[in-house]
Amino acid sequence: MAETSHWTGSEKYLCDPALAQAFHMARTLGMPLLIEGEPGTGKTDLPIHYANDRGLDLEVYPVGSKSNVEQFVARFDHVKYLRDSQIEILNAQREEKGLEARLSTGGRNPESLADYVVKGPAAVAYGKPNSVLLIDEIDKAPREFPNDLLYALSHRKFIMPESGEVIQISEEEMPAIVITSNREQELPTAFKGRCIYHYIDFPDQEVMGKIIEKHHPGLDAQVVRVALDVFYHLRRLGLERAPTTREILNWLKYMSEIAPEEAVKKIEGLQGIGALIKTQNDMERVNRMMGASNFPYGGLN
Amino acid sequence: MFATLPEKFRAHGLKADVRTLLLFRKAMQKGLIKTLGDVHNCLKGIIVKEPEDIGPFTKAYYEYFLHVPIQPGQTLEDAILRSETFAKWKTQWIEENDRDLTDEELVNTFLDQVHLTSYDIKEVINGKEIWDKDNPDLEDDDPVDNESEAQERVLDKMADYSDLTLDELLERMEKVREQQRTQHGGGSHWIGTGGISPYGHGGAAKNGIRVGGQGGGKMARKVMGDQNYFPIDRDALLNDDNIDAALASVKGVIEESAIEKLDVPLTIKTGLKRGGLFIPELTSEKNEELKVIVLIDNGGYSMAPYIRSVQALFRKMKTRFAHDLEVFYFHNTIYDRVYTNERRSQWITMDKLLLHDKKYRVFFIGDAAMAPYELNRQSFESLRAISLKFKKSVWLNPEPLKYWPHTYTIQAIKEVIPMFPLTPAGIERAVVSMNSKNANH
Repeated sequence: MAETSHWTGSEKYLCDPALAQAFHMARTLGMPLLIEGEPGTGKTDLPIHYANDRGLDLEVYPVGSKSNVEQFVARFDHVKYLRDSQIEILNAQREEKGLEARLSTGGRNPESLADYVVKGPAAVAYGKPNSVLLIDEIDKAPREFPNDLLYALSHRKFIMPESGEVIQISEEEMPAIVITSNREQELPTAFKGRCIYHYIDFPDQEVMGKIIEKHHPGLDAQVVRVALDVFYHLRRLGLERAPTTREILNWLKYMSEIAPEEAVKKIEGLQGIGALIKTQNDMERVNRMMGASNFPYGGLN
Repeated sequence: MFATLPEKFRAHGLKADVRTLLLFRKAMQKGLIKTLGDVHNCLKGIIVKEPEDIGPFTKAYYEYFLHVPIQPGQTLEDAILRSETFAKWKTQWIEENDRDLTDEELVNTFLDQVHLTSYDIKEVINGKEIWDKDNPDLEDDDPVDNESEAQERVLDKMADYSDLTLDELLERMEKVREQQRTQHGGGSHWIGTGGISPYGHGGAAKNGIRVGGQGGGKMARKVMGDQNYFPIDRDALLNDDNIDAALASVKGVIEESAIEKLDVPLTIKTGLKRGGLFIPELTSEKNEELKVIVLIDNGGYSMAPYIRSVQALFRKMKTRFAHDLEVFYFHNTIYDRVYTNERRSQWITMDKLLLHDKKYRVFFIGDAAMAPYELNRQSFESLRAISLKFKKSVWLNPEPLKYWPHTYTIQAIKEVIPMFPLTPAGIERAVVSMNSKNANH
C-alpha cells in the first residue's frame, strides 16, 4: 500500500483526475492497478513520474514474449553454482599438483546457496518498503504468465529457490504495483478480477493542449492550436494507425524550431506529416482526403 | 448491504458477485468512499474490466443508485431530464437557490453533484483548485470570498461524517437508497440539499464551490454517445466494427510457450572442450506456431460484402504476428485447384496445396451455397482430402444460421468440414474446436 496519499501528477506529468483516483484507490486497497489504453496515453509514465516525484524506489519489469515468473521473482543460477563447485575440485587438484594458479569464484561461496539466487524485480521491490513496481506491457507475455504472476502477487511473500530465504512484506508497506497493457491479447478474467482497472481515454483537444504545454512550454499558442486541429482531424479519419500523443509531441518539437508564422503555414500545408502517419496506406488516404499530395510521405522540407 | 447490487449489475452483462461487495466494503473501511461520486469511481475500478464495460456500467450505476433508467440510444441528458429523481432534485434545488437555470445548466449541476468525489472536496479544502486555475472560463466571480466561506462549510461536514462507524454508514447508505426509490421520501438524500452524499445532509457542491466540470459527469455523458464503450454484438456478422473482436478470437490459434531447457549436446561439447568440466548449458526454447491457410470464396455476389472484412481480419492477424499466412481463392467450391490471386487467373493444383505442412490450420470462408450439381464427386474428394491432411480445418460461413438446414450444399459440406458462422463468437467457437484434441474427427 506503500504511500497512500493522493497523487495528482507532477510538473512533467499531467495525471487525469480519474486515473489519479484509481491509482490512489489501488494503493489504498493494496491491489495492482491495471492500466489499458491507446499507445501514447502515458500508461508507463505514471509509475515512473510518481516514483520520481515522491522519491521512491522504482523496479521495472518489461514483459516480453519469453517472460516467465522466474525472471520476475527470482531464479537459482544452476550454471554458476555448478561451475563454482567444479572449480573447488579443480583448485584442490591443482594444489595437489603443486600449482599456484587458482580459479576464482568471484566471491561466491558454493556453501551459501543465497549467493546463486538471482533476484528479479518483484523480489527486489518486495524487499524494500514502499517501493513502486512497474510491470510493463503484460499483454506481450505468454498466455500463462499473468496467472502465474497473480499467484505471486497475491501472497505478499516470496520464497527464494534453493536458499529458502523468505522475502515478505506487510500490507502497509506493499509496493505500489502498476501493470500496463496495450490490449494486444486478452488477459485472463481471474487476473483482471484481482486488479483495479483503469482505461485511459484518449485525451481530448483541451487536455492535449495541456500535455503539450508540459512538454514544450512556451510554444506559440497559435501553432499549438493549428497543430491540434490537424491532429484531431487525422484521428477522425479512421486511419489504420491513428497518430498518438508521442507523435504530435515529436511533430511540434520540429515545429518549435521554426518561427511561429512559418510553422503555422507549414502545419496548414501538412508538412512533416510523416511524423504523424506511419503506414503507406494511411498516407495515401490522407493525401486523398486532405490533399497533402504536394508533399508525398511528408518530406520534412 | 447492497445485496441486490451484483444481480442488478449482472443484468447489464457485467461481472459482479459477492467479491465485488467485499472489495467495496474494504474500500469503505479504508475511507475511500464518502460521496456518491466516490461510489461511482470505486465500483468502476472494481467492476469495469475493459473499455466495453464502461457503457453498461454507467447505465447500471445510474439505474441502481439514482433510479435513472437509460434506454438504448438515449443520451444521458435526456434520460436524466425524464427521470423522477431529477424532477425531485430540481424542485428542491430551485427552492433553495432561488435561481432560474435552463435545463442544460440544471443537468450540469445535477451531474456535478452526482459525480462529486471526496478528491474534489479535498482539492477545495487544500485551496488549490487546480482545474479551475487551468480553465479561464470559470475564473470570473470573486473566488477568494467564496473559497474561505466554503472551506469552513466543508470542514464542518467532514467532521460530521467521520464520526460514523462503518456499520452506521452502510446502514445509512442502504436506507437512503431505498428512500430514493419511494416517491415521497423527501428530506436528506443522496440527492438533496447542497450536494449529494450518502451521509444525508452535507456535501460540498454548494454554491461557491466549483467542483466537477472536469470529471465524472462529462465522462458519463461522453460514454453514452460513444459505441466504443459498449460491447460489440459478437453474433453480428463480421464487419469493420467488430473485426478486432474477431481478431481477439483468432489469436487463440497461436500456441506459444517459452521454456528453459538443458541443452545436452551443447553441454557435452563444451564440457569436453573444458577437459571434462561439465557445465550445464541452457537454451530457451520459444515455440510459436501459427501456420494458416485461408481459402476464400470470392466468386459471385453473395460473398462480395464479406471479402473485404475477411481480408482485413487476416491481414491484421499477419501484421500482428508475422507468421505463415497463405491466402487462396476459389469459386463456390474447390475442384482440382485453388487460385493464388483474387482475379483467379493464377493457381496451384490441389496436390501442391496438400504438400503444405500438416500443422497448417485451414480456414474456409464461403457461403457454401451453390447449385447441387456444382458440388460433384471431385469437389467432395478435394474437400475431404484437405480435411484429412489438415486436421485443423474449419469453414466459416456468413450465411445466417437459420438458413443452413435448408441449403443442401451447406449440409453436405458441413459433414466434411466443421462449419461455424462468420461472427466473432462463431470464430471463437471455431478456434476452440480447432484446439480441442480431436478436432473434427
